[in-house]
Amino acid sequence: MTTIRIFLQQARRDRLTLPIWIVGTVLLLAVAGASVGQEYGDTAGRTSILTVALATPALLALRGIPHGASLGSAVHFQSFAFLAVTIGLMNIFLATRHGRADEEKGRRELVLAAPVSRLAAPVATLLLGLIANGIFVVLAIGGYLSAGVSLSGAVVSAVALGITGLAFLGLSMLAGELAETSRGANTIGVILVLGAYALRGAGDALGRPDVVKLTLQPAWPSWVSPIGWGQQTLAFTENRWWPVGLVAALAVVAVGVALRVHSRRELGASLLPERSGRAAALPTLRSPVGLAWRQQWPSLIAWAGGSALLGLVLGSFVAAFSKANIDSPQIQAVLQSLGHTDASDMGKTLITAVMVMVGAVAAAAGVQAVLRMRDEEVDGRLETVLASPRSRVGWLLSYTAVAAASVLIVLVATGVASAAGFAAVGQQSNAWLAMGSALVQAPAALSFVAATALFVGLLPRLAVTLGWAVFGILIGFGLFGGLLNLPKGWDKVSPIANVPALPTDDWVPTIVLGAIAVVATALGAMAMRRRDMST
Amino acid sequence: MVTLMSRVIEATGLVKKFGRTRALDGLDLSVKEGEVHGFLGPNGAGKSTTIRVLLGMLRANGGTATVFGSDPWRDAVGIHRNVAYVPGDVSLWPNLSGGETIDYLTRLRGGADPALRARLLKDFELDPKKRGRSYSKGNRQKVALVAAFARPARLYILDEPTSGLDPVMESVFRREIERVRNDGATVLLSSHILSEVEQLCDRVTIVRAGKAVETGALDELRHLTRTSFRVTTTATLAQVSKVAGVHDARMEAEHLAFDVDTDSLEPVLAALTQAGVTSLTVSPPSLEELFLRHYGDQFDAEPAA
Repeated sequence: MTTIRIFLQQARRDRLTLPIWIVGTVLLLAVAGASVGQEYGDTAGRTSILTVALATPALLALRGIPHGASLGSAVHFQSFAFLAVTIGLMNIFLATRHGRADEEKGRRELVLAAPVSRLAAPVATLLLGLIANGIFVVLAIGGYLSAGVSLSGAVVSAVALGITGLAFLGLSMLAGELAETSRGANTIGVILVLGAYALRGAGDALGRPDVVKLTLQPAWPSWVSPIGWGQQTLAFTENRWWPVGLVAALAVVAVGVALRVHSRRELGASLLPERSGRAAALPTLRSPVGLAWRQQWPSLIAWAGGSALLGLVLGSFVAAFSKANIDSPQIQAVLQSLGHTDASDMGKTLITAVMVMVGAVAAAAGVQAVLRMRDEEVDGRLETVLASPRSRVGWLLSYTAVAAASVLIVLVATGVASAAGFAAVGQQSNAWLAMGSALVQAPAALSFVAATALFVGLLPRLAVTLGWAVFGILIGFGLFGGLLNLPKGWDKVSPIANVPALPTDDWVPTIVLGAIAVVATALGAMAMRRRDMST
Repeated sequence: MVTLMSRVIEATGLVKKFGRTRALDGLDLSVKEGEVHGFLGPNGAGKSTTIRVLLGMLRANGGTATVFGSDPWRDAVGIHRNVAYVPGDVSLWPNLSGGETIDYLTRLRGGADPALRARLLKDFELDPKKRGRSYSKGNRQKVALVAAFARPARLYILDEPTSGLDPVMESVFRREIERVRNDGATVLLSSHILSEVEQLCDRVTIVRAGKAVETGALDELRHLTRTSFRVTTTATLAQVSKVAGVHDARMEAEHLAFDVDTDSLEPVLAALTQAGVTSLTVSPPSLEELFLRHYGDQFDAEPAA
């Protein structure tokens, strides 16, 4: 009975979080299905795009293994690995939220002081996970069917996703037994999910393609990844169940070991104690800039690394595109619109379009870095810092400077990586174009940083919402404005729509964007000087 | 006369509004150079708001405040060169160790005295290698205290600094206050723990609902309150009750117990002597009583007292 009570309380805590994850993932699936159906509606179209995919290891690494040109199989190929990551992350955070996080914050102690067995809480979490993944499976079947694919394949693929979710739930429960902090448990869990995705990515990229049957025999790394097993169901064609059994066995073992360890472990104890920190600070930690950098660099590695990886594979994409000789005016039009260019060379258009997105990633890294200021202020640490002889203007400029540096580091890393990627496939001229196209995004990306800094100074309580809303709306408008059939020129309200496609002679918009960024930052600093601390 | 410059903190008629609520409603505060000044009041009285105005983090809507003779809003940086601060609710950077936090905060003021830092870590029994997120409330407070005391300052502003400390650590804290006082520093110590203020402070300001309701040396403040008597006497309860200045007269076993206004001590003593006394216990007014008079029901019941 107490287990049910704990379950109800956990479910109540998650009454918003879990529906958002589940519905969001199902929507992702439905959108992917619809877009495959629309863009490659006929077998000929799917055959040509799958042929390109099989010739492009980078694409296989991102997507998965194709298995024939049927619509269902194409949707499965496009979306299964992504969806497995999303549903895996949902389960990772679910297990930690009700596991190690409760223990760390002392909530578990309160519960265990009542007449409640030691295993009641983890069993309740397991129940919650079973129900959440069950609901997801039902909705995901509906999502597949909305794309007009067969029911039997939809059931296999959706169940495989749900069981993969449960496997990550078990692994995350186990991570919660190992790590001392919720942050540590989540880190282990996220590494496991992304590791599973990366392993099958490597295996699929190195696999043996069959261009006639449109199939792929993945290399061994795919066979050590639960996501790789799920792909082996070959849903919509073979509909194999035994790989689902493999994933289910992993789930059972992980949950079993986690519960066994949990029943013997003392409250608060952990198998991997947290590493202790430094007894004294490094010499660089002596100013708000030093601290902002110290806080930012770990996430900056993720932003810059991910973006640089995209840049690195761009060369092989463009090479495959030009080899496959795709001459589709539709694709060309989409790429031109994304890149805000009229260039007729497909490869150059692709570079411009991808770099606009890299600019958006850099801007996101910058906005995230600027908004650290609000964490500092809301949590009360700013108060302690400003009680020292440091001015609030200097403090705001320090964080803005670190955010600006983050933007530039993402762009430079991506530019260098893409140049290297093009050099590797022997396209020297595109190497320079890619490098330049990455760097020319800087003023537009920096204008988002500056706008967010202005919000922090002027409207602190709304800064987080405004910062991300303005980012989302303007990036969306800039990327897809051209596809929405809006009157010409409307998409120009977005900074990224004003980034020139190289080569160009018109540098006015770039200079204006840079000037706007400087002015917005200055206004933010002035506003910061005049306002109260605001939590 | 005391000149303005020997006042480290001088605030008159401070008003701070948050929307409709008046967190500060004409608050006066005056802290002399070299004194340990207690800033006493219940939660929500406006202590932390006052401190934030004095640190230039909030701008007062009315009244004037100076710290070291300067306006804290306009010259925050200059003032803070000589200030060490411990906030009421200490929040640390979750992934920085305690040692890193101490170094960062002291370096912002010019750097810690290494010997002092090492001694404080030892005295406060603080492990500097633990990360911010894993410290308990008391340990977070110790990190902030070590950061404040590890570099000498002219003014220490401490907002309820001992609320998470155990009695042993409280005595370590008191030792540090004595040390900086002997070095000539000024301390503004906000608290709702009366015994702490009683032990440490030269002067006290009591705040309630955004106003200073009393200020002065503890001895002066005690004149405002009553002295408790426990007497074995032949005088009857009715007789004693009649004497002006006697309150709450009651029988406790064999004894007669009552409280006396400080101005009425002489007539009460005279009346007792006349009746004859076999045993007598007189207790001085504690700060607790002082406090109760301002915040307890008594205060509301006798507004003109």
